[in-house]
Amino acid sequence: MSLSHPRVSVPTQRPASTLLQLREVGRRFMLGETPIDALHAIRFDIHAGEFLAVWGPSGSGKSTLMNLIGLIDAPTTGEIYFDGHCTGDLSDDELTAFRGKNIGFIFQGFNLMPVLSALENVMLPLHIRGVGGREARTRATAALQDVGLAKFIHSRPDKLSGGQRQRVAIARALVVEPRLVIADEPTANLDSHNSLMIIDMMREMNRARGVTFVFTTHDPRLLAHVDRKVLLQDGCIERDESTP
Amino acid sequence: MNTLTLALRGLTRNHRRSIVTLLAIAFGFAAISLFAGYTHNIYSGLARQSIHGELLGHLTLSKRGMSTAGKLDPQRYLLTLDEVARIEAALQHEPQITLIAPRLAFSGLVTNGRASTIFIAEGISPQAMDRLQENMLTEQEARSGMYDRLAKKLDPARESGVALSAGLVELLHLHVGGEAILLVNTLSGQANAMDVTVDGSFNTGNAGTNDKFAFVPLALAQSLLDAEGRADRLTLLLEDVTQTEAIRDRLLAKLSAAGFDLEIATWQELSSFYRQVHGMFNMIFGFIFSIVLAVVLMSVANSVGMTVIERTREIGTLRAIGLKRSGVIRLFATETLLLTLLGCGVGFLLTVGVRYGINGSHIAYTPPNGANAVPLLVDMDYPRILLTMVLMLAVGMLAAFLPSFRSARQHIIDALGHV
Repeated sequence: MSLSHPRVSVPTQRPASTLLQLREVGRRFMLGETPIDALHAIRFDIHAGEFLAVWGPSGSGKSTLMNLIGLIDAPTTGEIYFDGHCTGDLSDDELTAFRGKNIGFIFQGFNLMPVLSALENVMLPLHIRGVGGREARTRATAALQDVGLAKFIHSRPDKLSGGQRQRVAIARALVVEPRLVIADEPTANLDSHNSLMIIDMMREMNRARGVTFVFTTHDPRLLAHVDRKVLLQDGCIERDESTP
Repeated sequence: MNTLTLALRGLTRNHRRSIVTLLAIAFGFAAISLFAGYTHNIYSGLARQSIHGELLGHLTLSKRGMSTAGKLDPQRYLLTLDEVARIEAALQHEPQITLIAPRLAFSGLVTNGRASTIFIAEGISPQAMDRLQENMLTEQEARSGMYDRLAKKLDPARESGVALSAGLVELLHLHVGGEAILLVNTLSGQANAMDVTVDGSFNTGNAGTNDKFAFVPLALAQSLLDAEGRADRLTLLLEDVTQTEAIRDRLLAKLSAAGFDLEIATWQELSSFYRQVHGMFNMIFGFIFSIVLAVVLMSVANSVGMTVIERTREIGTLRAIGLKRSGVIRLFATETLLLTLLGCGVGFLLTVGVRYGINGSHIAYTPPNGANAVPLLVDMDYPRILLTMVLMLAVGMLAAFLPSFRSARQHIIDALGHV
């Protein structure tokens, strides 16, 4: 990762309100005694309702950026503002509660609990938030219906295909009605048909509910479906393009 | 779905490991419970043997100094007829006291006319002797038939009838219904002899005393010692053994206020054998308990440690979607709690089953210093079973805390990236 790479930050102009602001955000990891700068002073805004893809080659810092946006990692330098509030001021418990309420996660490896059924997996974030059993069940069932898995609510993940598992993961991310959904390589473990289906589904949720989606991908075909794509290279934003 | 459900499902993830840990807990629990049950049976048996079998009663009341200086100068410390009557009057309204029995201990020589040997005797009324021996055996012990010879009996209709220990009868080639002569020193130091009839023989249960012990009617003892109406102590029987200490303190205060200078000993204080056995078994129990708890601690720590490593990504996911650090610790604590509870539950069932097998198989053994075989019986010692469960739960939680605390402190991105 080159420290001399030019840093490009292209703020987008959109009428929607700004959901997330990254201000000179940097992230340094230590590999033994050696410091590795994964991100360099990123300045970047995400607006409510956007369907945004972060793309770039391996090692460009996509996952690091997603971790920071998802508030599951803290920047070494700079600040992240969510809805105008500085997240660096929050304690671990406050940040965790904030994530549980506002951010949904879709992981590359689905990260479903193997001992729970699809329904129970989707109920899990509601349970963590203290939503009662009956209400959680109703909402989780509805979320699974929305992703077309009404017939599979009692199936455990090992009985589902990759695409179905990722749909369960989408339902789990959306069931808490988050304002932002982070999806790190959500299609990496899927074939092209399922990949497109997942992206279409996320896009539909974005349009229907106004939920902001930020996802990373290697697959250039999927970029055609987004309304903003951010190219990351060597820890810097190389290009930030909006699709008309 | 709640934390309990989630924890239960977590246990099924690696069911083989969960079962192995559960069995370690169960076998440990059963081992402790069975040993506790065995020692409980020994303690209660020894307590009944001391109180009812050795006729110690619950409390023994004597003049202060009787147990020390009185050994050399008994005459000075004997209770007089008047003192016995006054003490009995003072205690007659105590509802917890069911029997007050004057006693007179003495020793001397017993002879069959051809050979003589020493004896130790207790003078006691035949009625009091019967009362003291009530509740000596449990139904199970009575059914076993192994304790039949422990009963001591004096015939109230025969003033010169005595009961001799089985070893003494054997030693002097006596027989029930036969004659013997008791030779003693009176209180004033004169020699005195009396013909007696052997009305019965008994087993003291102790090899050390089974060839020298005798029971004689109190009147006969008083006559032999030329101590008309006198007693060296009063044996009290209470309604409730658990009240022994409290009643002792109350009686001591009451009798002291009435002008008596007396000492009152509990049966535990008088039965050094009970105290020694109790102390020894408590030590062994503590030793076994410590070993089993250490095994449980290591099993649970190993199990939770492996589980935490195995489920690192799951923990990362849960943390990402909103589970607080305390929630992670709570989840693993609940899993451990369930595992330990289930282990204790299985251990309890094992205890019941093995106990049933042991008690039903009529195993007998001769205890150290015992004069006869006794059945191996195991009780259900519920207080110590409960204590074992509570301690096992505490140890389980302790074992689970460190690995679950570490996993909760782990960075989410490290946990999510765990392979």
